[in-house]
Amino acid sequence: MTHDLESSRRARDADAPSSESRRGFLKLAALTGAMVSTTGTRALADGDIGFFAKDLSDEKLTGMYRTILRIRWHERTQADEMLTNPDYRGYNHFYAGQEAVATGVCAALRNGGPFDQIDMVYSSHRPSGHAIAKGVDIPKMVAEMDFRSTGMNGGYGAGMHISDPTVGFIGADGMIGPAPVIASGSAFSFRARGSDQVAVVFAGDGNYAAPHFHSTLNNSKLLDLPLIYVCENNLYHQYAHYSYSCPHKDIAEAAAAYGIPTEIVDGQDVVQVYNAAKEAVDRARAGGGPTFIEAKTYRDYNHWGAPGAKAGELGAFGYDPLAITSFRPEREVRAWMQRDPVDIARKILIDWGVLDDAGATTIEEEVKAEIAAAFEWGLSQPLCTPEDGLKHVFATGTVPARQFG
Amino acid sequence: MTQKSWMYSVFEAVQYEMQQDPAMTWIFELTPPVASNPGLPVINLETEFGRKRVVNTGIDENWMVSAVLGAGLAGSKAATYIPYQGALMPFQVIQNVAGKLRHKTGGIAELPVVWVIEMTGQTPGFGQQHSCYEEDSYYMHIPGVRTVIPSTPYDAKGLMHAALRSSDPVVYLYPAGLRTLTEEVPDEPYEVPLDKAAIRQEGSDLTIVSSGAGMPGVLDAVETLTGEGMSVEVIDLRILKEMDTETIVNSVAKTKRLLTVDQSYYTLAPGAEVVARAAENVEGARFKRVAFPDAPPPASPEMFTWMRLSAEGIAGAARDLV
Repeated sequence: MTHDLESSRRARDADAPSSESRRGFLKLAALTGAMVSTTGTRALADGDIGFFAKDLSDEKLTGMYRTILRIRWHERTQADEMLTNPDYRGYNHFYAGQEAVATGVCAALRNGGPFDQIDMVYSSHRPSGHAIAKGVDIPKMVAEMDFRSTGMNGGYGAGMHISDPTVGFIGADGMIGPAPVIASGSAFSFRARGSDQVAVVFAGDGNYAAPHFHSTLNNSKLLDLPLIYVCENNLYHQYAHYSYSCPHKDIAEAAAAYGIPTEIVDGQDVVQVYNAAKEAVDRARAGGGPTFIEAKTYRDYNHWGAPGAKAGELGAFGYDPLAITSFRPEREVRAWMQRDPVDIARKILIDWGVLDDAGATTIEEEVKAEIAAAFEWGLSQPLCTPEDGLKHVFATGTVPARQFG
Repeated sequence: MTQKSWMYSVFEAVQYEMQQDPAMTWIFELTPPVASNPGLPVINLETEFGRKRVVNTGIDENWMVSAVLGAGLAGSKAATYIPYQGALMPFQVIQNVAGKLRHKTGGIAELPVVWVIEMTGQTPGFGQQHSCYEEDSYYMHIPGVRTVIPSTPYDAKGLMHAALRSSDPVVYLYPAGLRTLTEEVPDEPYEVPLDKAAIRQEGSDLTIVSSGAGMPGVLDAVETLTGEGMSVEVIDLRILKEMDTETIVNSVAKTKRLLTVDQSYYTLAPGAEVVARAAENVEGARFKRVAFPDAPPPASPEMFTWMRLSAEGIAGAARDLV
């Protein structure tokens, strides 16, 4: 598929709301249920209206809702552990608020089967939502995040380094920059060996400023790689608003300049995210090259851990000492939390007759119990053996201890 | 004189130099250049000097390091603070451009630049990627770049003044685990020389050489060893490039025993260079090295705390040597 920048501009001009305000845009997008596309590559005359969620089974839609809830209750439970349990040592960069992005994208991917057919996800320092959406074993992830020897990575990696390739979750990366470029290398291998697999990278707005962002897009387009770059624009990299690091209101504008099809979606609405991801996956599998999806979203907690949060309550509104002098406005946090991805998904499914209110509540109760059991199992697992730190440096053997002379 | 924290001492030096030189710039990402200290005014470089001179940029260490270099070449004193995530991302610019510039221009290039590079990873649980156990070795290897690693607030301030006034590029390593240290630090500006190690304690039985984040463990171990009757000479390198060979050699010539301690991977840790220089210049000495194993620091606190330096491990190695 070729990309026509001029037609893309026209399409964007036609579709974009007149309001310059971001919130105005989101409100409009939410009201209309529309997916705003900055490219005009779809052949509308095919009868393909781009609303792929219309074809999903009730079971699939219910599964997506369940995934959103799993992420939400994992985050809330872990935040509460950090706030209330002095023996709990784990930590996370919480994903709560952004659940619809990981869920909508991963619902369009192949998440099981042989390793050479599975789609691969590269994540960031904020990985637990992506991991759950891709299908990792939640109890083992809980154990890993609390440094347990039976965790999914043996307690070696914990919060910023979780990985489970068996479900295509290549894993978290604690650094801003490298992951997208490496993901493009996986996409490169898929193309080279004639596989229809796709590679997906989730990265935040902060990644825009890194040279790696531009290298990724340039090479992905040059080689037509089956890469889907999901930019989760939650407005802040650590404690700085993205206007400090990106001159565009929509980061997707930068991707369009590389000739890559782009979609801007309301990241709070799982259906919109799924529709965009499905189109991107179809394009990549068919050899049509990369897609850039910018999901407008927000995180309910602060950058790291749970400072400013209260146990039993979603969101962080209080003081975060790590922010030093840069704080998110409390009213901004609350305004975004009014458009909660859990509530939006629930309402859609009830509106569509997929679930009734009681059914949705039952699912949430089941998920809460599942997550509670995951924490009970994970936090009862054995701690690591100190000497094992000398293992896994190379494929075989151990390195010598040097700390005692 | 007031009790001052590490970071307050550093920013006091930066603030003074920026007040003296209206061309000087400071670039940061994520970590606002703000320091507070009980009984002293808050230092906020961004509000004091404005956003033309003090820039909050995106997560792009390559730009930060390169921009500082370019500012220096244009005649502006310039410094940047690279936080823990990105300390080796700009390596190539420092290694293959900055370190070679003066030499390849036949001595013409002037480089009044300072890269403050944070070294983290002293807190259990950070895991592999947020642990800096290699930067001292990497940067001290580069010709043409002065690499310093203060271990006290006093040295942190004095070395910052010296670094900012030097026409050579300086990598100023900041062991983040030392941020809780406080001590008496003069209010007025002063320089700590860019070529002198510090003898923290004199002794005759054994020389212990360490630097940066290794120093607190060494001082704890030495307290124990002194109590046991051992006479230990303690050298804090402070400067990795150019290393103060004379102080090391004089000490080892006296004690004939050298223990090096590095919070850095064993292979090519600064102590390896210290041992080599002592061995070249002192007959009949004995040597031992304590360092982090050649393994990435694991997240598990059980593994990590066993692998990292400890006062007990250092004291044990010292007893083996004497």
